[in-house]
Amino acid sequence: MSEVSEVSETAVLAVPAERVWEVLSATGRYAEWVAGVLEVTDHHGEATVGRTYSERNRTVGPLTTRSTWTVRELDPPRRRVDTGTGFAPMHDMTNVFDVEPVPVGDGLGTRLTYTVRYRPGLGPIGRLIDRLQQPGLRRSFQTSMRALEDLIIAEGDEHEGHNG
Amino acid sequence: MTSGATAGAAVGGTPVSVPRRVDVAVIGAGLAGLTAADALTAAGRDVIVLEARDRVGGRLLNHDLGDGQVVEAGGQFVGPTQNQVLGLAADLGVATFPAYARGASVYVHRGRARRFGGDIPPDPLALPGLGLAMARMNQLARTVPIDAPWTARHARRWDAMTFATWLRRVTAGTGGLELVDVFLGSAYGGTAAEASLLFSLHYIAGMGDERNPGTIDRGIAGAGGAQELRFHGGSQLLALRLAERLDGRVQLGTPVRGIEQGDRSVTVRSERGTWTARHAVVATPPVLASRLAWSPRLPPQQDALFQRLSFGALAKCEAVYDEPFWRADGLSGQGVFRAGSTVCSMFDNSPPGDGSGDGGGPGVLMGFLGGPQWRAWAHRPARERRGAVLRAFAQVVGRRALRPRSYFEQDWTAEPWTLGGPTAIAAPGVLTAFGPWRDRPFGRVHFAGAEHADYWNGYMDGAVRSGRDTAQAILAATD
Ligand SMILES: Cc1cc2nc3c(=O)[nH]c(=O)nc-3n(C[C@H](O)[C@H](O)[C@H](O)COP(=O)(O)OP(=O)(O)OC[C@H]3O[C@@H](n4cnc5c(N)ncnc54)[C@H](O)[C@@H]3O)c2cc1C
Repeated sequence: MSEVSEVSETAVLAVPAERVWEVLSATGRYAEWVAGVLEVTDHHGEATVGRTYSERNRTVGPLTTRSTWTVRELDPPRRRVDTGTGFAPMHDMTNVFDVEPVPVGDGLGTRLTYTVRYRPGLGPIGRLIDRLQQPGLRRSFQTSMRALEDLIIAEGDEHEGHNG
Repeated sequence: MTSGATAGAAVGGTPVSVPRRVDVAVIGAGLAGLTAADALTAAGRDVIVLEARDRVGGRLLNHDLGDGQVVEAGGQFVGPTQNQVLGLAADLGVATFPAYARGASVYVHRGRARRFGGDIPPDPLALPGLGLAMARMNQLARTVPIDAPWTARHARRWDAMTFATWLRRVTAGTGGLELVDVFLGSAYGGTAAEASLLFSLHYIAGMGDERNPGTIDRGIAGAGGAQELRFHGGSQLLALRLAERLDGRVQLGTPVRGIEQGDRSVTVRSERGTWTARHAVVATPPVLASRLAWSPRLPPQQDALFQRLSFGALAKCEAVYDEPFWRADGLSGQGVFRAGSTVCSMFDNSPPGDGSGDGGGPGVLMGFLGGPQWRAWAHRPARERRGAVLRAFAQVVGRRALRPRSYFEQDWTAEPWTLGGPTAIAAPGVLTAFGPWRDRPFGRVHFAGAEHADYWNGYMDGAVRSGRDTAQAILAATD
């Protein structure tokens, strides 16, 4: 059994935690902000414990994989844990989002921590590959969290008009 | 909601039960109907224009930005060889100004944004193939008889395939096709897979005039092409001024439901009254013409054609900022987005401000949701769509685009008196089967509209041409 690897990144987003929770709970929307998710192929709307959603993900270069995630733990509006399959040779993939409201300037902000744990597989070669890919994974988590922030800013307040 | 029901045009009307008599009843107060009515009135005919909406202009619609500034939510650009609409504008005292095009444009592909100059993005894989394909399109378009494309030597073969099938044949990879689709997103409200090759070659052949053969280059281009100029006061001002000149002859809020005709006259019915005329001009989108109650029935071929000339799917999404901030960064505000993006293209749509074209007023970015983009986003919650559009804008001009002062959309598929946009595209088989029926008068009823033009079919210029030609045909009729 290989050891568990963990990659965790934190970012402070200039948007309210309530909106962060709302958007990351929408299982149909990951292709809009999670780097490497090309398409959500099946989903169940607002994340619900025990239910699944599926994605097509970019892996290396032009290669893609299909993954399925199950929502395991929900502690609204703070913590969410999912487990995923379809990332071989990595196994026992767990994804955790921790959401914490913090002030940003004069407004509401969010400290978001994005963590993934997995077993790399493939023995020593797997561990080597894992070491090589971790910096890319960290960058992609930061990119995703910035994209989430942009998405929430761009969607504006609920009351902002959409038709002039 | 965008409201273009601004001043000038409107003539209300009380319901009438006794048929009114006129020389010509025009159905539809878009550019084509109004141009026809204007020409007929100038020639001394007694004309009534019946318009379903509570405003004139049809696919031309000004959105009020406050402070006397407007921006278009419908058709807006004009350019060289569009002499009919430019001539009409000059006649109406509506001036043009150059669409903002200084600085670099941005090409967005697979989430990456790159600056470029000119009209065609610097994609090293797609470009050589695209260049050859465009040259070939122009060459083939020159062989298409502009007034009878179905008689082209290879008409049957070309009408049996989609434009996409042909593009795949003449280009390697998908780059060329996807870049043509960027243009067709706004020009067709669809993709090359939805249109016949023959229709597309005819459409290209029409991007010119009697002296200058049409080219795809002129259709795509900003400077020197169809996106070169805009109108001071917004394009709807053309329709508003025409309606003013028609002085009481335009009746708004009057959807026509049926047309009956005999040997001597034609009767046009609406809930607001009945008009008996010597001639009628149906200047509505073709699908809406096919939905009128006709007595006798429209010839089945013409009915079949009009039903098949349905519109593409197009919405404009516009974000208003305090100033056009991207200009100071050396950006034109123009973005070209390869497949998979939220919008297909975007433009700096700021009002001209002090007249120099340099702003001084608000900055406006406008993106097209056309065809595939419309299908992906039209049914999503408005808030999510707005977010996606603004993020696309941010890829081109930076994160300031995420926080507009205001944002509005105009989805032309939601308009019951238009049913899509910007124009009709013919699928394979349609032109060769039914093409000759497009402009053929049905008894005393003539057809006008942008879809009834050979040059600049689907454009404002085509609408004006068709309106004028139709008026001429009626004036030439001996009865
Ligand atoms: C988003 C968009 C962008 C565009 N961009 C450009 C551009 O940049 N440049 C360009 O040249 N063109 C552009 N176009 C196309 C251009 O707007 C049209 O070609 C032109 O305005 C069509 O004029 P028309 O009179 O033929 O038809 P319409 O404007 O459609 O007028 C038809 C009229 O008939 C009325 N009507 C329909 N049914 C009935 C009925 N039963 N009874 C009474 N009235 C009825 C309608 O309400 C409407 O007023 C664009 C169009 C759209 C939608």
